[in-house]
Amino acid sequence: MSYPHKLSAIIELFAGLSDAEKRETLISYADQARLQEPKEGEHFDLEDVRKDEECTDTVAVFLRLDEKGGGHFRVTLGPQVQTLTRAMSSILCKGLDGITPADVLSIPADFVPKIVGVELVRLRSQTVYYLLTRMKGVAKVWLQRQRQSSLEKDDAVSE
Amino acid sequence: MSIDTNYAHPEALVSTAWVSEHLKDEGIRIIESNEDVLLYDMGHLPGAVHIDWQRDLQDHTIRDYIQPESFAALCSKNGITPDTTCVFYGDKSNWWSCYALWVFRLFGHDKVKVMDGGRDKWIAEGRPLTRELPHFTASSYPVPPVRRDAEIRAFYDDALAQSRSKLPLIDVRSPGEFNGQVTHMPEYPQEGVLRGGHIPGAHGVPWKQAVNADATFKSAAELQKIYQTDLGLKPDDEIVAYCRIGERSSHTWFVLNYLLGFKKVRNYDGSWTEWGNRVGAPIEKSL
Repeated sequence: MSYPHKLSAIIELFAGLSDAEKRETLISYADQARLQEPKEGEHFDLEDVRKDEECTDTVAVFLRLDEKGGGHFRVTLGPQVQTLTRAMSSILCKGLDGITPADVLSIPADFVPKIVGVELVRLRSQTVYYLLTRMKGVAKVWLQRQRQSSLEKDDAVSE
Repeated sequence: MSIDTNYAHPEALVSTAWVSEHLKDEGIRIIESNEDVLLYDMGHLPGAVHIDWQRDLQDHTIRDYIQPESFAALCSKNGITPDTTCVFYGDKSNWWSCYALWVFRLFGHDKVKVMDGGRDKWIAEGRPLTRELPHFTASSYPVPPVRRDAEIRAFYDDALAQSRSKLPLIDVRSPGEFNGQVTHMPEYPQEGVLRGGHIPGAHGVPWKQAVNADATFKSAAELQKIYQTDLGLKPDDEIVAYCRIGERSSHTWFVLNYLLGFKKVRNYDGSWTEWGNRVGAPIEKSL
């Protein structure tokens, strides 16, 4: 599938950058990771807070659905999370903003090296893929719950 | 906290306070080496240069370290001469700074120190970081005549001989990796190793036993208890240490070599990513 519009724009931005500029831009995105944390008073349809074996610190992923079915992610990262993963949290929160959970599930991960660059995707920086996996996990759970809820409603009607 | 003078080579370890006072000294180069590839760019000690374990220290086409010519060029670029004292620090309790220090030793650069507690301790103490890149006039670093692999580096055959001779082999990975329960490091993705376990006869002594909660090294007395009293190692023993790719074992190599004064310690940098995948390599599990 093609990438969501906002993510495509970010991929295109990185495509035109030199390695040094990519690095600077990733730092800039990492600096903005805090802006993607939940804001006071925000309510979410799903929250997934955990410390996984394959990541060095706790990562919390929050999903809110708007009235049109578009998803909006927020992410909180523990202090030991790697800089690339911080950058990716900003990129994904912005790039996936407004798309449906079903569309989140179908996004291929091959955009990651296009953004990060080949030099930085290597041994000991593979957690750059981790956040997309977590977001897809949240989207999948939300879809499963929706299906379950629909089935229960159908059962109630038929009774 | 001051450095324990009972270490065999206390001069090889410096405190954050010492570094703070010597940031601008001529003849000293502060070097940051991290696992996190962008951490230096997020902020580093004023005047510190960045040496990346993969980009700068490894050959890009052969699984090996750079050749002497590249080492000389790396040092020249960073204004380092053979007389420069290199002070290493980094993330992950100084794994990668010990690794970089060990590579510098491979090329005979002996004026080396580690900042105790690494990057995290510096930050925890509220000391300054900067994003300003330092600029040093290129130096003239003579090409080292050889890479001293034979002295401090072990290869597969050396580790195999060590195992067969029942000489000390120290596996510094986590207990789960040593036992063969897992094929990855805790908190890390799988790094492509086929089998779990350890080299036959190896002793499991996780690197972490050598550090305190703030990433500083334990005292000389505590280290002696771990490696000499409990494990039975002697200062003249021929020892090989290994982990997955040689960074955690560089940390233990630093402990044994500099803090305890063991004279014949080698780091098997091929480590478990070579041994665990190698056709014909025997393994032991302790499940």
